Amino acid sequence: MAETTQDDVVFRPKPSLPPPPNTVGVVGWLRKNLFGGPFDSLLTIVGVSLIAYVAYSLYQYGIANAVWEADTYRECLDVTKGNGACWAGVSTWMNGYMYGRYPDVEQWRVNLAGVVLAVWLAPFWFPKIKAKILVGMSAVLTFPFLAAHLFLGGEAGLFLQVMVAVAMTLFATVWLNVGASYLGYPSLRVALLRLSGFENKGDHLHKYVLLGAFGVGFVIAFAYQSTWELAAVPTQNWGGLFLTLVISGIGISSALPSGIILALGRRSKMPVIRVFCTAFIELFRSVPLITILFMAVTMMPLFLPVEINPDKLVLVIVAVCIFAAAYMAEIVRGGLQAINKGQYEAAQAMGLNYWKMMTLIIMPQALKVMIPNIVGNFIGLLKDTTLVSIIGLYDILLMAKASGQDGKWLGMHTEPFLFTAAVFFVVCFCMSKYSQHLERTIGGGYGRR
Amino acid sequence: MKKVSLFGLGAGLLAALTLTAEPASAQQSTLDIVKSRGHLRCQLGTPAPGWYMLSDSGQWSGFDYENCRAVSAAIFGDPDKIEVQSVTSAVRFTAMANGESDMLSRTTTWTLFRDTQLGLDFTTVDFYDGQGFMVLKDAGVNSALELKGATVCVATGTTTELNLADYSRTNGLDIKPVVFEDSNVRDNTFFTGGCDAITNDKSSLASTRAKAPDTTIFKILPETISKEPLGPVVRQNDSQWKDLVMWSLFAMIAAEEYGVSSANIDKVIAETTNPEIKRMFGVEGDLNKGLGVDPKWAYNIIKMVGNYGENYEEFMGEKTVMNIPRDGSPNALWTKGGLLYSPPFR
Repeated sequence: MAETTQDDVVFRPKPSLPPPPNTVGVVGWLRKNLFGGPFDSLLTIVGVSLIAYVAYSLYQYGIANAVWEADTYRECLDVTKGNGACWAGVSTWMNGYMYGRYPDVEQWRVNLAGVVLAVWLAPFWFPKIKAKILVGMSAVLTFPFLAAHLFLGGEAGLFLQVMVAVAMTLFATVWLNVGASYLGYPSLRVALLRLSGFENKGDHLHKYVLLGAFGVGFVIAFAYQSTWELAAVPTQNWGGLFLTLVISGIGISSALPSGIILALGRRSKMPVIRVFCTAFIELFRSVPLITILFMAVTMMPLFLPVEINPDKLVLVIVAVCIFAAAYMAEIVRGGLQAINKGQYEAAQAMGLNYWKMMTLIIMPQALKVMIPNIVGNFIGLLKDTTLVSIIGLYDILLMAKASGQDGKWLGMHTEPFLFTAAVFFVVCFCMSKYSQHLERTIGGGYGRR
Repeated sequence: MKKVSLFGLGAGLLAALTLTAEPASAQQSTLDIVKSRGHLRCQLGTPAPGWYMLSDSGQWSGFDYENCRAVSAAIFGDPDKIEVQSVTSAVRFTAMANGESDMLSRTTTWTLFRDTQLGLDFTTVDFYDGQGFMVLKDAGVNSALELKGATVCVATGTTTELNLADYSRTNGLDIKPVVFEDSNVRDNTFFTGGCDAITNDKSSLASTRAKAPDTTIFKILPETISKEPLGPVVRQNDSQWKDLVMWSLFAMIAAEEYGVSSANIDKVIAETTNPEIKRMFGVEGDLNKGLGVDPKWAYNIIKMVGNYGENYEEFMGEKTVMNIPRDGSPNALWTKGGLLYSPPFR
């Protein structure tokens, strides 16, 4: 019985009006963000025209007027009259930019090592896998030996052969562990014991079973690697992006551990250690990298007997590692100082000794704070390695320069540099993005705000 | 007291190292070291067109590289037993001094200072370079003396820059130098009309010209305003090694003089009556003894590397990007009015 008459006053809100048309949609966004006032509008116009100009020029140079197929730079010039890029030269030299003078038929070894490293580290990103420390430590400690043998080839000494076999066994362990986890076992250890039937036969036997399994794996790996016949490729032939990554990769992976040790040493209460670490850090931090490289490569052999001819690449890598460690030490020290004194005192009050306090309480917190700095340093280091071109190591930059001096491609200097810049951008940008991801996932309360 | 003893210890260590190092290097000649090592360590510069070029397949070639190949052929009978050390000019002499390189063959000008004060010995000259000017043909300039008040592109911090200033002052030309750090930028500035002329060693002018979008519009002026004799360099106080490097070069020059090339050498040796050619290529006599190499050393050089003229043609000649004319230049044989002259093989 609805008796609603016209007299009844019922409050009915009017439907709200749509927002003024000039504040919504594309137009609204533009007005708000780009044309908020005369100054904003001016900035927008100037900015957009600048971007458009650069983009247009790049398009004209790099795509519209570019030559993709030619046999010499002269052929390119005949077409472009100098107004377009000659990508034909870059693609001819691509192999050189990537591998330097590494022989074509042996380049699979470099690729293989890269793939092995990627596969080795992949379990890092599998959510189910527990033994991340095993993955990281095994790769950092033994992969370099495997890679060195693959890259260098030739007759390997007994030590290197053993380390290669250990590396292969650990690699298998990492992946067997992954397999075991996905098959439902808590860990590879349990899987091995259960499958071999020793799980319930006394704990003291477990150790021997596991060691035996590792031993069998090692023997198989050793036998397998001794069948390899790799042609020797001396380090003088290494080059291109490959060399850049070798130098910076070793530098980067050694920087953090040695930096932590130096930083702890500098804050140590033991005077000898403290003085040594401080002197080391200050000495190498106050000298430019190029000076250290010069000292290592050209000055040091002056003091050595003639018979000793250290490999140039080894000298360079040692120099880069020392330099990187000195910088990293100060970053770590900054991180340590950012941790509240209460944390130290609380840890000590719990009865933890120095190393437990550092590894369980202080370092995990400090490292989180330091992520942006550490990655910034890594990126800097990667770019600094181009300095090795000055002392005659054919990294990607020097290969880029060399390609423009080749008789066939004489005069090609812009294109290789553009290409090199693009390569560095991709690598550094990935590192930067990964660090932001790390900050979000493990940064916790210290993450980006 | 402590400091003193530490310092003393360090100094003692250094001295001990130097002492142990010295006799070893004095006893063993470079030739013995090279022979026992099994390859030659040859220092080149970072790639430069014509002189030492790296190809996209990773092979070295070039006019200066041929000197190393010649020495390798003389020692090993194989021109490619070479480890190339390609370093920037900043470290070229240290790399010689510290024993890293056996010989240096890289557009290095022979000067008194370098020969006497750096522990180096210059062997001989294989290329007479000199600073010159390049202009646009359209400018109508025919002599460097007409460059009055001109702007000239030049690399900074080089003797090139100093030579230009000297030349300008001596001749009252009032040249305005436009200096550059980077050679590519310098060349591009010149191409786009940023300077009236460009100055550099004439061989470098040739490679600058080869980079231009249109190579036909330039002219290298006849004047040469500096002397740049280039040739291989070895460490001081190793006469046997110096002799070998020097005579490897002379063999290539002499072979050209006698008309012996890589193509006809077997025929010439079989047919010749010239006793000097017979001595040179080891058919008669034992000229190789003093050099400490195989009797066929010179034969191997010419057969495997070629004579001087062949190498010039291959890397500097008219069919190459360098395109430096040889006739009438100091780099012609002495029989053709040039300066290249080999002492007799006797």
